[in-house]
Formats: sequence, C-alpha cells, structure tokens
Amino acid sequence: MLISLNWIREFVDLPADLSAEELAERFTLVCAEVEGVEAIEVGASGLICAEILTIESIPGTRDLSAATLNVGSGSVDTMTAAPNLKAGDRVIYAPSGASVKALGTIADSTVADRPSSGMILPGDALGVAMAAREAIFLPPSIEPGTQLDPSSFDDWVVEVDNHSINHRPDLWGHYGIAREFAAIFNTPLKPYPVEPIEHLQDDALPEIPIEIDDADACPRYSAIMMKGVASQPAPLWMQLRLGHVGLRPIDGLVDLTNYIMLELGQPMHAFDGDMIDRIEVGTVTAGTKFTTLDNIERTLPDGALMITSNRRPVALAGIMGGLDTEISDTTQTMLLESANFHPHTIRKCAGFLSHRTDASARFEKSLDPAHTVLAIQRFVCLARNEYKQFKLAGRLSDAYPKPLPEISVMIDPAFVAKFMGHPVTRERITEILTALEFDVTDAGNSMQVRVPSFRATRDIEIEADIIEEVARYVGYNNIEPDYPEVVVRALEPNPQQQIERAALRVMVQGLGMTEVHDYIWYNTEWCNKIGYDPSDCLTLRNPAAAGMERLRQSLLPGLLRAANLNRYNFNEFKLVELGSAFPRTGDEHIERQRIAVVSATRSKTAEDQRLSDLKGAIETWAWQVVSRPVTFAAASPDASRPWEHSAKTAIVRIDGRDVGRISAVPLALRQRIDEHLAAWSMVWAEIDLVSLAGLDEQVSKLPPVPAFPEVDLDFSVLVDANRHYADICEEIARFNDALLRRVSFVDSYEGKSLPAGKRALTFRTRIGDTTRTLEDTHLVHFRQAFQSHIEAAGMELRTG
Amino acid sequence: MDLDKLQNQLSTLRAETTTAIAGVVTMDELRRLESQTTGKTGALGAWMATIKEFPPEQRGQVGKTLNQAKGELTKLFKDAGEKIKAGAAAAEASKASSYDPTLPGIRPPVGSFHPVTLVQLQVEAVFQRLGFLIETGPEMESEHYNFEALNIPKLHPARDMQDTFWLTNGKLLRTHTSPVQVRAMERHGTPLRVIAPGRCFRYETIDASHENTFHQVEGLMIDRNISIANLIAMMKLLLREVFSQELSIRLRPGYFPFVEPGFEMDMSCLICGGGGCATCKQSGWIEILPCGMVHPNVLRAGNIDPHEFTGFAFGLGLTRLAMMKYGVADIRGLNSGDLRALVPAGRISGTTVAEKPPC
Ligand SMILES: [Zn+2]
Repeated sequence: MLISLNWIREFVDLPADLSAEELAERFTLVCAEVEGVEAIEVGASGLICAEILTIESIPGTRDLSAATLNVGSGSVDTMTAAPNLKAGDRVIYAPSGASVKALGTIADSTVADRPSSGMILPGDALGVAMAAREAIFLPPSIEPGTQLDPSSFDDWVVEVDNHSINHRPDLWGHYGIAREFAAIFNTPLKPYPVEPIEHLQDDALPEIPIEIDDADACPRYSAIMMKGVASQPAPLWMQLRLGHVGLRPIDGLVDLTNYIMLELGQPMHAFDGDMIDRIEVGTVTAGTKFTTLDNIERTLPDGALMITSNRRPVALAGIMGGLDTEISDTTQTMLLESANFHPHTIRKCAGFLSHRTDASARFEKSLDPAHTVLAIQRFVCLARNEYKQFKLAGRLSDAYPKPLPEISVMIDPAFVAKFMGHPVTRERITEILTALEFDVTDAGNSMQVRVPSFRATRDIEIEADIIEEVARYVGYNNIEPDYPEVVVRALEPNPQQQIERAALRVMVQGLGMTEVHDYIWYNTEWCNKIGYDPSDCLTLRNPAAAGMERLRQSLLPGLLRAANLNRYNFNEFKLVELGSAFPRTGDEHIERQRIAVVSATRSKTAEDQRLSDLKGAIETWAWQVVSRPVTFAAASPDASRPWEHSAKTAIVRIDGRDVGRISAVPLALRQRIDEHLAAWSMVWAEIDLVSLAGLDEQVSKLPPVPAFPEVDLDFSVLVDANRHYADICEEIARFNDALLRRVSFVDSYEGKSLPAGKRALTFRTRIGDTTRTLEDTHLVHFRQAFQSHIEAAGMELRTG
Repeated sequence: MDLDKLQNQLSTLRAETTTAIAGVVTMDELRRLESQTTGKTGALGAWMATIKEFPPEQRGQVGKTLNQAKGELTKLFKDAGEKIKAGAAAAEASKASSYDPTLPGIRPPVGSFHPVTLVQLQVEAVFQRLGFLIETGPEMESEHYNFEALNIPKLHPARDMQDTFWLTNGKLLRTHTSPVQVRAMERHGTPLRVIAPGRCFRYETIDASHENTFHQVEGLMIDRNISIANLIAMMKLLLREVFSQELSIRLRPGYFPFVEPGFEMDMSCLICGGGGCATCKQSGWIEILPCGMVHPNVLRAGNIDPHEFTGFAFGLGLTRLAMMKYGVADIRGLNSGDLRALVPAGRISGTTVAEKPPC
C-alpha cells in the first residue's frame, strides 16, 4: 500500500524537521513495516494549462498529431504523440523554456517537418503512473494560461508492507494512517471533511428502496442518486495524489471513488441511475451467469452475493459491477453504492472466480459499516467543491439491518504492566488509547475501553489487543529485557526426535556419510528414467509443477538422483538423507521418518566389498543408536523397486523387527540411468526410524577379566555354496560347551581349493575355564565336540 | 688335557672370534656367533664341560682361566654390538634426513552435515543449555493444527500469507513449525519450554532466494508470569549465541494471528554493522526473528487457561540462517543433492594447498 505524504499532511501536521525516511522509521517502529520511501521530484517550472482548439493526426506517422492550443495569451501550434486528445480538452503544457526533471528544458522544435512549439506533457513525466505518452486532462475550472503550482507536483511516497496491515482495515486508507501519525507525534488529527448528514436527507428528493435478503452477508447498504460528476476530469491535485500512489487517473467519477477508497478504505460503485430504481441484495444459486463490466461472462458459485434491481442482476457484490448498468457518456444520473459486505462471502466468491479486485481485497479485511455513509458524505463534499455540474438527485438510502455490536474491553492496568514487564500508569494508558480514539472510563481497579468502530470489526477484541496498543506506543524498545524466572520441570523427551538426532549424528560423524536434502515429492520424470512407477503415492492437489505431485514412499529415488549427479565430480562418496516418506499402509498413506544411505565408488568389482562395508556400518550404527545387534535376513526382492538387486537384497532386522532393507543397485538400473554407471558400484540401505524410536537402552555388562588365559580356535565349516550364512549361524549358535565363551564370524571363502558347489565359512571360538589354565587335552576334547556338532547338523569341517 | 694346551686353544679361539666379529654386520649374526662361541653348546661351553677331566688340584686354575676367557669374549661381543647399533642408528638418521616433516597427512574419509543441520544443531544446543525440550511434529499436518488451533480460521486473510500445499487426503504440508506449539501444549501441559525445528513448505515460485521447501525452528515458553520483557531478553540471548557476538536489536510491530501482540525482531546488519548496505536495503537492520506473546486462543486450543498462564513464541528461519552463516548465494543448492553446493571442498577429502575462489 502506497501512502502519499502530501495526502497525510492534509489531516495531520507532521514535524517539519523530520525527513520522509525518519517519518517512515517512526511509523515502522510503532505501527507497521515501511518497505520503502520514494521521492517524487518532478522539478516542474513554467507549466501552464492549455486548451486544445483543433487537433488532427499526421498522415504517414503512426501516432503523431498536430494541435493548435489556446495558451491564454494566444494560440500556438504543437506536435504531440499523446493518444485520445480532442478539441476542448485541457492539458498540461510546457511552453518553450519551461522544464521538468525528466525531460529537461523544453524548446521549440521541428517534428515531422512541422514546427512544434513547446510540448503537451505526458503523465509519466509528471510522476503519475500512466500509459506511455498519455496526457493528464485538467478540469474546466482551470482557465487556459493558468500557471500550475510547481510544488503541487512533488511528493514523498511511503510503501507500507501489505502483510503487516492485513488485520487493520483502518490502515487501508490515508486517514487511518494519518491517525497513527497524529498519535505518534502527539498532535491533533484534523476532523474528516464531509458533507453534513442533514444535507443528504432532503425529503423533497426521492429515495431508492433497498431490500437486503441476507443481513449476515450484507450488514449495511447505503446509496444515493446524483448528477454531474462523470463527464469531466477530476481536479489536478486529486489526479496527482492518485498517480503518486500508483493509480492511473481515468475520469472524474472513477478518480473520485478511487480517491475515497484510498482515503477511507471504503470501495464504492456507481450504477447508471437511469437503469435502476430499487436495490435488492441476495445470494444466487450455483451456475448463475453474469457479465461483469470487464465484459467477461462469469459462472457464479453457490451462495455468491448479488446486487439486483427488480431481480435483474446488476453487480457482483463487493467484487465488480455489471456491464449492462455501467456508466456511459450519455448517463444523466448515477446511483452511488457504498455498502458493507461480510469478508468471507466476498473472499469465497472472489477466490472461486479467481477474480480479486481492489474492492474485494478491501472487503476481505472486515470494513467498518460506519464508513458506508461516511464515504458518501465525503463523496458529496468533494463533488460539491470540485464539480460545477454536481447535484443530488435523491436522498440517502441506508439499510442497516445488522448493526455492528459495540465492543468494550475491560483491562486491568496492573496486569498490563505485568504483561509488558514494564511500568505504565493509568494516565499513560488513557492518553495513548484516547489518541487512537478509544473511549476510556475508570471501572474500579479496572478500566473500561470502548473500541471505535473502525477497529471493532475484528482487529480489537480482547485485553491482549489493547495491551498491544499501549505497548507499541510506550515503545517496544523502551522495555528493559528481563530474564524469566523458571520452574524446573523434567519434560518427557520425544523419542522420535532423539532417534533422529542420534541416527544422523552416527551416520555423519561416526561413519563418514555426507548429508543431503531432497524434496519430499518425487520428480516423476526421474521416476520414469529409473523405471519406477510412483502411481500408488499420496498426491498434492496443487503441486509446485507438473511431475512434482507425488509424495515419496522411499528416499532412494532421490538419493540415486543425487548419486548420479555427483558421480561427475567425485570418484567415491557416501550420501545420507534423513527425512519423511509417505508409504501406503492399508488404505492410507502415513508419514514415516526414514534414514537412507547410498555408497558409491567408481569400480565395478567393488560391489560385494562395498556391500559388506555398508552392512558393517549399519551394524555399528545400530549398536551406537539403539544398542542392539543387526541381522540380515534374506528378502524376496520387490520388483516394483528397480533399485533392489534380485540376489543381494536383505531385510535389516533389529530386535526381531524388520526395520529396513539393504542391497546393491543392479547393473540393469545403472545402465538404464547412464551406461557410464556400469563402471560403478553402488550399494544402499534404507531404515525406518519410527519403528526404532523409544527402544530402551540395552546395557552391555562388563564381566571380570578372566583369571586364566583364554584361547581362540578357528573352524572352517564347509557348506553348500547356496546355503545362507543366517542358517549356518543358527546351527552354530545351538552348540553348547562348558568352555565356550563366544563364537564370532571370520570370513566366507570360495575358491578353487574347495570342492565344486561348496564354500567355507570360518568361525572363531573363544574358550576358557574360570578355574584353571587350559591344557592340550581340553582343546582336543573341545575340537572333537565342535566337530561332532557340525557333522550332526549335516555339514563338515574343512581340514588342513 | 693340560693347562698350557688349554691356554693355547683359548688364544686361538680369541683370535678366530675377533676375526669373525670383524666380518659381522647385523645384530642377528652377532647373536648367533656369540651363541656359537660362549653359549652352552658353543666352543667355550664344551671346554667348561671338560673341567672334571683335570686333576683336582688344577681344577681351580682351569675354572678361573675359562671364566676369564668368557669374560673377555663377552666383552668383545658387547663392544661389537654397541658398534653395530651405533652404525645402524647413524645410518637411519642419515637416511631419514631426506624425509619432509612438513608433508600433510592422508585423511580418512569423513562425513559432513547439511549446512541447515549444522545451524539447527547449534540452535538446539543453545536452547538445551536453557532447559528447552526439543519437540517434533508431522510434515503432513492437519488443517486444525496448522491453522485453526493457531487462531487462523478458514477464510482468514492471513492464510494468503502462507500459500499452502494441499494433499488429496484432506491434509496439507505444514506451512510453518508453529503447529508444534499446540501439539507440545497438549503433550506436556504447563509450564513449558520447547523448541521444534523442522521442514516447512510454502507454495511459491523458486528462485535464488525463494524455496518451497525450507527449515524453521519454532520456540515456545509458557509460565505464570511471562512478559514482553522476558521475550526480549530471551530473543536477545538467542541471537547473541547463534551469531557468537553481542548484537543491537530492535523490536517493532508485526502481525501473526497466533500471537498478540506480535513482533518482528531486527538485528543490526552483520555486513555493514548498521551503516546501511545492499544486504540490509540501506536500513542497517536485518529482519530475523518474528515473535510474539502467545494468543489466548492458541493457549485455549492447547488446553491452557490464558488467565493463569502467558507465554511467548518465536520462529527462526534455519535455512536463511544457514545461508547467512555460510554465505550461500543460491538457496536452490541446498536441496540439490550436489555435494559441491553443500560441503566446502576442503572438508570432503584431500589437503588444500590454496583456495582461489572465482571473482
Ligand atoms: Zn547492512
């Protein structure tokens, strides 16, 4: 929202010694954020009003016209590129020797072989937002030759952040901003200049009947019939102010309604008065069609609020008028609407139609119903002063079926001070609130604060709202920082949070992984690339882009994408990501925190070694994070997930629970991504952290150091090559002997020295006796016992 | 055997041994030779065994002679050993003089946290020191926790400020970490001190400084007498710890429906020190910390009586903090998975000799 300081100064005397930047900073600290301050420095000198006597376009040029102007002292010929000029228009003229900063000093010249005296100035050279070369029209009250006050063109414009005033409908107009400035500088706010209400209530004039069907949707509707505003330009000062805050001047009527909207926040709409003799406000059913004045036929949603006249739709309430009843050049009388609508009704409809207008944006902010009549009073006041032809053609119609409830808040000054953590007196509270037009009365120890209607539509409801008013004027930066005194309380820790931190820390700091982040939605193009069908995923209704609608069920596709990206720059890397995935469980998708790893190296023969390393890493990780061992169970590969190797996939199991999967990226997929990846080994693991959260700590005891030496004996067990380690382990774990302390795995060997179809698994046994040193006979007996156990299980020991 | 003959033979042994030692280079050879000469089974050992063959009156003299010879031989070996060791030590020292003691080491592969995680861990550590619990909440959130419980009813204009990703199951991707406020109130009651870091999502166009996926940390403190003065003190402390320096701050009004009053906290610009530069848009201030006093409606949503308890809440952009701290110019690198955007080159592997950043 752009604010003109010229405009503000009409209502409040701002300190002359403060720069615009300093004013903006004070406003930022007390009221709302200023995003920028811009000087409008036109540097006008010698500009006058000129009337166009004749104008004709020059053949053979695209947009040049030759005009004869009445400049008061006589007539001059000038060339102009301004569009839409006609005889009788009054424009801003720079005679030779006049100047503006944007164009320099204007001199007589020759254009298209014709002499051109001076220049008709375009709006954009005067700091007014207009289309290129478009001229500003002056009203007939300014005589040709009149010198235009150079200082009226200069201004300061302050941009207030819209988000920071979303909750303050009163700040969507200059008068509301001026009220804050008056309070900031403790200086009076001038009364809002309006036509006395009695002047609008002439019984001799007719009144338009208003019928409101839905008082919740339209709490108030005011209207009045008038003549003589439309057919002439608005006063120059009004056009300049509008132009400074970014609104293009259009004509006397539109400019005046826009002006009041920017001053008071109240949108108004003018109907062709000849076509309307009564007003009804009500909702329509879905599918109703209506053509708005931008000549678009719109299909309305159910519950859309319409203005009708004799049941004929004439406006989409609070959003836009209808094409049929638009003001035209032949319009004699017009009906001015100034209404109050429920914000949700307008917001829903504008949202449905994807058609938000300046008006609807304001209605969405909960406007003060008192402003409907006030805006009309202001309109009449300005029109009477500035438009010679203006005349009322009716008296004020005002339907107000649902008056705004008055809001009164009780505050306790002691609590206000305690809440702020800063002393403040009753007197200071009263002073601040009174400056903001709150009405304060004592009520015993408390104070009763009556909220003015322009703050009572949603903004101020409770004591905390009043405290904000007091505190921001006391000055947030005057409050001394003060540490709170706390009550000690041991809160129950969040197991999910704990496991996430530990899981990531061990992967990164313990195991040398590098953390990456990906989006939580799949890139469908990449899914296609890797041959993965993501159609079972939970989807976004409004994805960031096509192909980004599916929430990931696994972290692997994204990690593979990252791996493929990094292989251009690194020969070896280990990536880890911790994040949410949304796998399907039954009928719904649920959020699960996962941790996933991809370990890659530019070597095609390293895959099994890499997989062993990763399994070892996962085992170490599990000891560190959940103090438990991991086992790897054979998994039937899931064909829907192309990153799972058909032979090398295992289930990661902790405490008997399946918590994840580990595998190598098969050559088929690596080749599919890029044939260069055939020369790489890539292994991965993905673990669900939700199933590990909250496991209790398993304490490993530290038994006494053995008093007598213990001995290691290795055994190589010869097994069928296709038998799984996990099976053999089960057999070995069943072996019991009084001397046995521990069995551990050494390695798995396949080679020419073994019989075909066999491999050797080597296990190391540690044996010892708590009462004596072992002797050879003990070892021999143990060896025999172990051998019998192995043979009984249908295996044999490898000898030699 | 007589004494003279023995003495002759011992002289011969001494002479032969001296010659043999002269040809020895290593300690191993020397020890072998010593064992062959003076050991149990060596030449001297064999004569020691013959001592009984001498007449009893000569035995004392023989023993004395043999022991003397053994002492002499042992000394020969000891001296030779010292000489070999000294030679080896000198040779080693001489050889090592070609070693370059300034060569760098060979680094074991190390991991690295994501820059956002690094600042997150730092912020968590600050608050853990202050007795705050770390909480989490789901990224797939309900409208209730993301909006309604935070005093943002349907059709509230504030929903415009948080363009939302909606899911087909009726839920949404949380637009901020604030839903954890009410979840934490429900979980723990009062008094309460928590922070909740996490990933958030806003439907917006991505460019070098805007992301639709980013991290925040939420903070919440509720007790019987929490005041604005408390909030200011704690926020000031937070910024000092995070930026490891004393900073000027200022507080100004800000609007967030779930706090009342709401504030924006600015800190003095770290680039220009407050004088004004491009980073701070010439204002000298950087908007860093939206915060405020918890709205009574939010306390009620968390089953807390606003007449009994007050509190403050804040939100800190971790992604933005990481960008400031590590000088990340393009936010898109953070979710790219490209290690070059995430880890300083010298952190991954190898030893840096010189950095020549492009200018
Ligand atoms: Zn700066």
